[in-house]
Amino acid sequence: MSVAAHDVEARIAALKRERPRSRFLRFSLGCFLLLMVASWVRGDFDFADTFSAQRGENLERFMMTVRPKPLRERTDEGWVAKPWDWDVAADWAGERLTTGVSRAETEGGVEAAIGTLAIAILAVVLAALGSLVFCWFAARNVATPQPFAPSASPPGPLRRWAWRGVVGSTRVVLILLRSMPEYILAYLIMSMLGSPAWPAVLALAIHNTGILGRLNAETIENVQRRPLVALRALGAGRAKIAAVGIWPAIMPRFLLYFFYRWETCVREATVLGILHLASLGWLIDEAKARGFKYDEMVFFILLGVVLVLVGDVVSAVCRRLVRRAS
Amino acid sequence: MGPDRAPRRPFPLRTRGAVLLVLLGAAVWAFLYLDMSFAQLVPNEGGLEIAQGFFSSAVAPSSEVLGTAVRSLEATVIYAAAAMSVSLLLGLLLGFLASTAWWSGDPVGGRTLFGRTVAPVLYGVTRFVIGFMRSVHEVLWAMLFLAAFGITPISAVIAIAIPYGGTLAKIFSEMIDESDRGPARALRAAGASGLQVYFFGLVPRALPDMLAYAFYRFECALRSSAVLGFFGVATIGRDIELAFLTNRYGEVWTYIYVLMAVIVVFDVWSGHLRKRFVA
Repeated sequence: MSVAAHDVEARIAALKRERPRSRFLRFSLGCFLLLMVASWVRGDFDFADTFSAQRGENLERFMMTVRPKPLRERTDEGWVAKPWDWDVAADWAGERLTTGVSRAETEGGVEAAIGTLAIAILAVVLAALGSLVFCWFAARNVATPQPFAPSASPPGPLRRWAWRGVVGSTRVVLILLRSMPEYILAYLIMSMLGSPAWPAVLALAIHNTGILGRLNAETIENVQRRPLVALRALGAGRAKIAAVGIWPAIMPRFLLYFFYRWETCVREATVLGILHLASLGWLIDEAKARGFKYDEMVFFILLGVVLVLVGDVVSAVCRRLVRRAS
Repeated sequence: MGPDRAPRRPFPLRTRGAVLLVLLGAAVWAFLYLDMSFAQLVPNEGGLEIAQGFFSSAVAPSSEVLGTAVRSLEATVIYAAAAMSVSLLLGLLLGFLASTAWWSGDPVGGRTLFGRTVAPVLYGVTRFVIGFMRSVHEVLWAMLFLAAFGITPISAVIAIAIPYGGTLAKIFSEMIDESDRGPARALRAAGASGLQVYFFGLVPRALPDMLAYAFYRFECALRSSAVLGFFGVATIGRDIELAFLTNRYGEVWTYIYVLMAVIVVFDVWSGHLRKRFVA
């Protein structure tokens, strides 16, 4: 009995030794934890100030001004709430949705929300087209001297290095495109172009070209090799293999990523309006700028929530359709 | 739709063409709806001047502000890392509640009274909370906090941590639910309780993927933290805005290059992590 128990312990010890472990993963985790602890030590975080009584009062005042304006009144002691009335609140909300705000160049919340969706759609389509230009040059199985050659006669070192250079430089371009935050891109572009839509569209398109380009390149590299080798053996060149062998195979995943990024674009497009671009963010910022109308600000933020949820649902439905069809 | 249609032909070509046409059509609609034209892409006189000044400075970043840039970058990393630590806690806690594996049947075993009554409600509420946290952008959270009690370093951290916590919770719960159930069944057969099965059978399987994803989100948090600089937080975005407003384009490029450098490092790092652990 004791021998068996000993065996079991030895076996457990052996299993424990053999369990998959990754130094790289542990190293990354260690760095990550260290960084997070260090940030709280190094950063200048003042808990006493953040949770002080004065900030508590501010919060209380804010909560009152978040009530729609017709539902509160100003007295000597500041704003006082009137009893909640759904009809009044609904009228107020309807007005916010449909009434133009001259400085924000919109006819109200609904139009701004549709504008936000339009910006996201145009940006992600441009990004998808852009990524379809880059991704072939970033995929190691396509951008190589003799792609999918059945019997590889070794190509000259010059050609090998040239193609490696193509892959490397394309990947660097993609990484640079996606490294800049959309907001900063939009801010820079906005100062050069006057249009209320292009800066947001371009900023989102640039950033997402970098992301979709990388994702598509990875998809291309994961395409089953054998059919492509067969195509090659039949005499198809690089472009033909890409058109009839790779593109049909990556298309479902391409669409999955497309909708996933569109979802994110809706979120980001909302915010880019703060730069006075044609989206919901413009109204959010206007509400604050025109005399701190926090009731309107919160209302438009909540409208943004609805918009994002609509985007999520549409994207989820489209992705499910794509999954089912493929 | 004829009877001779192959039963499992994936994604027929005609459907694909239609899908792509619809998407392109949507883009054209958006273009028209937004009153856009390609003529707007040509900057006006003032814009042209700014563009020339800005892009000609790309090769001549200012080295004088390098010290400032590194300090601001440090602040940017600090905000991002502090926010990640909070959102990881939120993500783990809510991700646990938002996964179905711990209460709905296999492999945790037949449903208990708790699993039939309290757990689904808890799950639904958590899903709702997560959805709300996620659907308000960190910049808007920051604006709300700014309005509610003024922006402090901690409120900036929380502004990032709320939407990120929601996203982490959503992805974590999906990863846990989709992880391989084999070990969980084995533990179940050996007599482990529901929670034991969950924490020793399911979660460890998903952990590497979860870490890889959290790492990727940290890269995103760096970007968010930089952007919050435009909203009164002392990160590198503030320096970019100030330098740009005062036409010191060389300095703008210094900040941009420094920021890009650190983001690229984490991009490559998280890319390697994901390649190894997320299929």
